[in-house]
Amino acid sequence: MAEETSRPNDADEQAPAPEGPAQDDPRDQEVTRRKFLITSVGAMSGAMAAAVAVPAIFYVAGPVKEQGASEEWIRLGSASSVETGSKTLMKATVERRAGYLTTTEELSVFVSTDNGTDFLALSNICTHLGCRVRWVEEQDGFFCPCHNAVFGPDGSVLEGPPPRPLDRFETKVEDGQIFIRKL
Amino acid sequence: MTTKLGDWLNDRSGWRTIYGTVFLRKIPKINWAYTLGSATLFAMVIQIVTGILLTLYYVPDPQLAYASVTYITNELPFGWLIRGLHHWGASAMVLLVVLHMIRVIVYGAYKYPREFTWITGVALLLLTFAFGFTGYLLPWDQRAYWATVVGTKIGEVTPVFGDTIRALMLGGEEISGLTLSRFFGAHVWVLPSVLLLLVGIHLYLVIRNGITSVPKRGE
Ligand code: HEM
Ligand code: FES
Repeated sequence: MAEETSRPNDADEQAPAPEGPAQDDPRDQEVTRRKFLITSVGAMSGAMAAAVAVPAIFYVAGPVKEQGASEEWIRLGSASSVETGSKTLMKATVERRAGYLTTTEELSVFVSTDNGTDFLALSNICTHLGCRVRWVEEQDGFFCPCHNAVFGPDGSVLEGPPPRPLDRFETKVEDGQIFIRKL
Repeated sequence: MTTKLGDWLNDRSGWRTIYGTVFLRKIPKINWAYTLGSATLFAMVIQIVTGILLTLYYVPDPQLAYASVTYITNELPFGWLIRGLHHWGASAMVLLVVLHMIRVIVYGAYKYPREFTWITGVALLLLTFAFGFTGYLLPWDQRAYWATVVGTKIGEVTPVFGDTIRALMLGGEEISGLTLSRFFGAHVWVLPSVLLLLVGIHLYLVIRNGITSVPKRGE
């Protein structure tokens, strides 16, 4: 038993030595053996805890990468329904897969055009904290009800706390239909 | 550094006394069979940890339960491991708890003054079975369904109250979403609360009464 401490792995393991009341044991051989055992048990416990804890981190973080809307083109509707010089709120339902569930979600986008061929598509989600903005024609701006932000017709911030302009989508027209895609 | 922190805490909590009472207590010369209780305890900790992790994704809904379990097993990183540990750990619990009980019987460790330790032990044994039974339904697959049919039919055989017992277990006449949610509630809230309380008492008694020594011939 005396040679327990000379095992190769003992040197790597820093003994935390949380000695209890029995520390004043006169036979140091006993103390060494005790220290060795405490350290071994500690190291094994640590290894076993890590064997569960490390996979657990990946497991908990699993769905994180799943999120985020698809990178595909989304059809909004007919391009002719967009009035020139105004904002038209167009809606599309998109499928979102979250784990074992696929849900449909409504996406609302303000679309406008000056010439009938180039389209601007702005998200209706306020860039401050995510409330939905609405377009007020008479005042030529988007208004957010939550903290009174105002955005201009091009999405730029005119007033209030938002850190950046309204998000834009990439647009294209095919067979008279408007499609958008995340930029 | 750590000793300093330990001293600081000890001044304010006396934790070293508790540590000493729990881990540095005197025990007779014993053998590996005496580790079976601790092994059960260890399996229990694994069950608690993996069980909590499973509830992060599992839903006790008849439409979704199976899909959520499939998602855990096949799609989540290490979901197979977490579920696998919980699945096999359940069997390990039953096995270990029974072996532990056999050791107590064989060594006559249930005698005075440890009768009450034994009684809490019996409750723990039944609880372990109850965990297994309620947990088995949760994946909501064919095997789970029919095992629950069989299990609750066994309850129905009880004289006089049989029908009531089965209806109480199922939350109605037949297995339904109500059965699933009450099994889930029992499995993750009711049983663990009782288990922790009883394990606490059981271990308190083990420490307070000390461990029996291996009986000698003629004892
Ligand atoms: C969740 C289930 C259980 C846990 C976690 C558990 C845990 C423990 C632990 C750690 C000990 C210390 C001694 C040893 O490990 O052998 C012990 C002792 C004891 N257990 Fe259990 N036990 C459980 C179930 C049972 C069952 C089912 C019985 C019997 C019906 C039982 C009866 C006893 C008795 C009488 C002692 C005292 C033995 C002695 O002093 O030598 N326990 N238990
Ligand atoms: S969320 Fe729109 S202004 Fe705060």
